[in-house]
Amino acid sequence: MPGEPAKRTKREAYKDSLPTDGQNAAFPQKKFYRQRAHANPFSDHSLTYPKSPAEMDWAKYYPAYAVKTEDQDRQEKEKEAAVESHDQGQTSGAVVKGITQPVEIADIGCGFGGLLFALAPKFPDTLLLGMEIRMSVTEYVQEKVRALRVQNAATSGYQNVSCMRANTMKFLPNFFAKAQLSKIFLCFPDPHFKQRKHKARIVSYTLNSEYAYVLKPGGIVYTITDVEDLHRWMTGHFERHPSFERVGEEELEGDVCVEIMRSETEEGKKVERNKGLKFVACFRRIEDPPWP
Amino acid sequence: MAFPYQCIEACNRSRGGNHDWTLFGACGSRLVAQSSSGASSIWPTAENVDVKDDAPEDEPQERPGKRIKLSPSADAPSTSNFSCLVVSNDKQYLVAVTAEDKCIRVFQIDSNCQLHQLSQRCMAKRPCSITLTSDDSTILCADKFGDVYALPLIPSAEDNLNDTLAGGPSEQAAEKPYTPAASVLTVHSGRNRKVLEEQLKQASKGPKKIKEPLKFKHELLLGHVSMLTDIVYATINSRSYVITADRDEHIRVSRGLPQAHIIEGFCQGHEEFISKLCLTESGLLVSGGGDANLFIWNWQQYRLLEKVCIRDYVLRHYRAQPQLAALLPEDEGNFKTAVSGIWSVPNSQSKKDVILVACEGVPALFSFQLGDSSTSGEAIPLHGNVLDVTFVWPSQDACTAVVAVDNVHKPGSTTETHDDEGPSRLQYLSYQQDGTWGEDSIVGGILKWFNRRASAGNLDGRGEEFDTKTKARLDDEKAVRDILYGVENLRKRAGADD
Ligand SMILES: C[S@@+](CC[C@H](N)C(=O)[O-])C[C@H]1O[C@@H](n2cnc3c(N)ncnc32)[C@H](O)[C@@H]1O
Repeated sequence: MPGEPAKRTKREAYKDSLPTDGQNAAFPQKKFYRQRAHANPFSDHSLTYPKSPAEMDWAKYYPAYAVKTEDQDRQEKEKEAAVESHDQGQTSGAVVKGITQPVEIADIGCGFGGLLFALAPKFPDTLLLGMEIRMSVTEYVQEKVRALRVQNAATSGYQNVSCMRANTMKFLPNFFAKAQLSKIFLCFPDPHFKQRKHKARIVSYTLNSEYAYVLKPGGIVYTITDVEDLHRWMTGHFERHPSFERVGEEELEGDVCVEIMRSETEEGKKVERNKGLKFVACFRRIEDPPWP
Repeated sequence: MAFPYQCIEACNRSRGGNHDWTLFGACGSRLVAQSSSGASSIWPTAENVDVKDDAPEDEPQERPGKRIKLSPSADAPSTSNFSCLVVSNDKQYLVAVTAEDKCIRVFQIDSNCQLHQLSQRCMAKRPCSITLTSDDSTILCADKFGDVYALPLIPSAEDNLNDTLAGGPSEQAAEKPYTPAASVLTVHSGRNRKVLEEQLKQASKGPKKIKEPLKFKHELLLGHVSMLTDIVYATINSRSYVITADRDEHIRVSRGLPQAHIIEGFCQGHEEFISKLCLTESGLLVSGGGDANLFIWNWQQYRLLEKVCIRDYVLRHYRAQPQLAALLPEDEGNFKTAVSGIWSVPNSQSKKDVILVACEGVPALFSFQLGDSSTSGEAIPLHGNVLDVTFVWPSQDACTAVVAVDNVHKPGSTTETHDDEGPSRLQYLSYQQDGTWGEDSIVGGILKWFNRRASAGNLDGRGEEFDTKTKARLDDEKAVRDILYGVENLRKRAGADD
């Protein structure tokens, strides 16, 4: 979003003023990253995304987990061998920097990242990724990740959390392999009230198949919203999908993620201030049935 | 001038060593059929249109469209243009899509080569590609919005009463289909053309505000958040799969019915839109679109086996032909190809897969033998841009490709039109045992009537089809182009919106 010229100049000046030596511990200022609330998930944004999860440069996002050079040499050799045997089409040129373990928790439409920063210390051995379609908001979260990593360098805190710009409604399978994730968060999704825009909703029967694809059996989709109609919509579409079952109330009570989702998301806080209602619903990915 | 056949589809039957075939062609909003035995038909027939003869008797025949008014009754023949033809596996039915009214039409094919429309079901979103399950019970319709719906080929009485079977709360609501009252083939006067343009524009903008649920059984199976461009139904051993391709480079492999909600995997590697999928005789998947390469997949393992640079083949062919070489951009780096068709050649004799490939606006077919290690191909020059291909089998081990070519536009161009009546609308290539293609004059002879058959109207068969006096038919150039050429439009324009 271009914004008025004065505002843009201020933003640019602010971003130019940020130190680039990687030692900057200051949090980014949110006011320079705000962006129009809605991005059209159907349009051809000039997004970058890998052709497949294998081509994703994960080390850029989780440098502390980058595979060591020996491993990388080995990977490279393996790749070459594969090319010789049959994959003659595949170019062996770009060697993708891998990481030692895959991302397992995704926060889809993470906004300013409140949930991620609260979850990261609770799951120190798990990689978390925020995915956000709005460029500027993504940059904010990335800056904040950088600052937190500098601040917590002594304990290697926040190395397990990162954020990238992505339109998850179109490109989720470009980032994640089948059965890779154990948790997906869908917190306070845009409601898209108008009937005409329902296909823009981040939950639908057909999109749920993609969530099921990237989730391990037993993995969970967490949803929360303050819009009752949207809550009913999401519940309806997940319950109707044969790959999911609703997680019971008792189980939710004991789940730390549910508590964090209520209290730590930016939207959750806003709703809290306005004394609004919050509707939580979680769904477990069940094992695929045998072929008919 | 005759309008080209934008789609053709053959139906081959063999009974006790006897081979006969029928060719169906869509010419604008008409269907033309002819069988190897000589039987023929045109749909709609004169009986099911209300022909109102308001033109003077001496009006030349080449403007028959003006004389035809189509009654607006429910079963009225369409004035929408056909965009897709599929013959059922049992050869009993022809399933066709008409584009502007988004309608799926099922026809029974009788022994006399006549078509009887059994149903017309207008979808909420424009169908881009359709296929049938291997048992012919179900039509799978992939649409512009990214969704795939299952419809019974022959709806039972209760199917139509019970319309609560749609995909869900949102899918229940479907817009009232909008049908332009005129088509490019029935309008020739300047003012009517404007009206038509408005109507087509309106149609493309989408339906009116009024929404009402579709009144027939249609079940949402799966969906991409991207325009679907092709759909293939595959059965391997006892397992069936639905393979879908979209404008965002995705090829998705889902389980077949009734588990189509389960995604088994993706074939990843394309960097531009995908427009066509093709399963070869041996079960490989070939995909193509806006990329320079065709991709050849072991799709059950989601593994890319080979890339074949179709763009290089086209480029080499252009360079070798002076008239085509002149069309190349100064900087050949800017030369782009968009695959508009991939067909698996049904040749039970050879052990190797053979495919034919067409690119939009290119007056040639490219024939490839898929090898174990590498694929080799050759260009087959044609006298017009390729629009569609289908295969007839004149005998047990013979196979002839019938090629619909664009007789309106000049070879290599999708905008420039011929000044004269243009070349023939069909070409016939028989596959030789040595792997080359040669002209088939026998099939060509049988299809003479089909080839000459009128485009717009001319239901009573009086007179000649083409108009040498006026070029009225070309005044709707853009509309004609939209029917014939839509593939390159799928390409994303850099920074189109952000
Ligand atoms: C209302 S905000 C909620 C943010 C955050 N989850 C929270 O609870 O505070 C919804 C976010 O989803 C993002 N979003 C919408 N569609 C998206 C898509 N297709 N891919 C990625 N992010 C998307 C929006 O840009 C927006 O930041």
